Amino acid sequence: MPTFGPAVMYEVSRARIRSHVTTTAAQERIRRLEKLPFVAAGAPDATLIGGFFGGVRDVLTHRSLLDLLIRRELKARYKDSSLGFVWSFVRPLTMLLIYYVAIGQFLGAARSVPQYAIFVYSGLTIWGLYNEIIASSTMSILANAGLIKKVYVPRELFPLASIGSALFNFGIQMIVLLAAILLTGQFPLSWNLLYALAAVVIVITYGTALALFLSAWNVYLRDIQYLVEVALLILFWASPIVYSWTQVQTIGAHHPWVSSVYLANPMTDAILAFQKGMWEAGSKPTQLGLTATGQPNIIQPVDWPQNLDFRLLVVFVVGLVLVWVAQRVFARLQGNFAQEI
Amino acid sequence: MSNVPVITMNQVSKRFIIRKEKSLKERLVNFGRSRKHKEDFWALRGIDLDIEAGTTVGLIGANGSGKSTLLKVIGGIIQPTDGSVRRRGQLAALLELGAGFHPDLTGRENVFLNGAILGLTQKQIEGYFDSIVEFSEIPDFIDTQVKFYSSGMYVRLAFAIAIHVDPDVLLVDEVLAVGDEPFQKKCLDKIKEFQQEGRTIVLVTHDLQTVQDMCDRAIVLSHGQVIFDGDSVKGVETLRASF
Repeated sequence: MPTFGPAVMYEVSRARIRSHVTTTAAQERIRRLEKLPFVAAGAPDATLIGGFFGGVRDVLTHRSLLDLLIRRELKARYKDSSLGFVWSFVRPLTMLLIYYVAIGQFLGAARSVPQYAIFVYSGLTIWGLYNEIIASSTMSILANAGLIKKVYVPRELFPLASIGSALFNFGIQMIVLLAAILLTGQFPLSWNLLYALAAVVIVITYGTALALFLSAWNVYLRDIQYLVEVALLILFWASPIVYSWTQVQTIGAHHPWVSSVYLANPMTDAILAFQKGMWEAGSKPTQLGLTATGQPNIIQPVDWPQNLDFRLLVVFVVGLVLVWVAQRVFARLQGNFAQEI
Repeated sequence: MSNVPVITMNQVSKRFIIRKEKSLKERLVNFGRSRKHKEDFWALRGIDLDIEAGTTVGLIGANGSGKSTLLKVIGGIIQPTDGSVRRRGQLAALLELGAGFHPDLTGRENVFLNGAILGLTQKQIEGYFDSIVEFSEIPDFIDTQVKFYSSGMYVRLAFAIAIHVDPDVLLVDEVLAVGDEPFQKKCLDKIKEFQQEGRTIVLVTHDLQTVQDMCDRAIVLSHGQVIFDGDSVKGVETLRASF
């Protein structure tokens, strides 16, 4: 292979460069560039603490792009349908109807759970947020393959945009839920509402951690997306959404470990907190018709887990640590996204 | 005066690991024997380069010589395995025109989205919007979904956005041969204007004539290494001799 002396050739090219840079605009540009500091190309470096804040800063400086990406996801979803965003209401309302009729009435859950419709819909709403964040963000990097291969933008933006659009749909469902609560005339205007807020914060925290982690791993191991589907199905039934916490405790009375294992799932704590905030009927005794012997059927208030406040705090702090770990994993893996996709 | 580097690369290497299996099942089945299913491939090896402000540099080489990888490393799209790439000034990459277009959105919506992807703020895009549409010459279709665009219209709009980014460094990968002849000429004129304005252009192309005509400097790559760095006419000769 012939090698040439680059130094010699370099001089030739430099003579030609001078001929180009003659205009004052060009000289001004170069003078300005001369004063700029050098920055590393691509993502911020991979140190454990500084890298995390570098990543956060990178996302913050691109927040208008994040905003546009969220809008794009929302706009593109119902672009050519004539009903558009009405479809966002149809799915959760259908689920509510199915669970209310099939499980509430036919299987009889509504006989032991007061205001079953509100109960099941609050569970479905907060679970829907978690479910959509994870399902859509897992696919987010692959779905934006074209962009990732061609342009550098902080890649965290894509899973974050999925979270943003999930939050929008959650907002729509919240409107339905609040309307239903108002219709049944039991607006929970109490400090318990703060539990609902805490639940949303926890779901977003865990959603962010899992979104970063799963979206990055899914690039390298495509099985993740199918595993996630199955895991979400299992977790849905492992959380007190269609059945109540009281029913779990009935079993837990004989096997105490059942309750502790059940509560170890952070989503259980979040869902319970959300129900405590939104489902007022669960926190006071209610009469539901008559029992077989003709006595009034009194349902005792739900025995919410002990130290729920403290549990939520711990769950939240653990979630924050997970976000940090997930961001570091993401930063490590994203360097090769462009080829692995 | 012109001796101001905007990109400096220090011992940049990039190793690709070529895996022959992707799914969990294949990995489990081949666990322990996975060495056999991996192959190292050095796309770049020990690249040391400085690119000065105001120059137009052509990266040339045979297929698979690493020139597109080098361009992606400069653009930050791929992280090098070793070494560091540092740069300054606003960078724009014309790696593939319209990469950020969403087919279901209208031309107008895509201008805003793509502009933001290339680093413009909302305000800037609003200010440039008329000029972008004018350059693309498709004002009648700006509110049509881009999936109905012809490929020429698509590329026109994408190029029009990219040149409004006001880059100090422009990375171009094989995208100049787009559109019909008048539009191609318009693009080349724009690139020449960019050169006059002291912008730095790094160009990857197989069109050696373009390199000879436009570039101040050619970097010839072969198997991930620089085999020639200097005058573009000599660079093209070197590449032709190595074929």
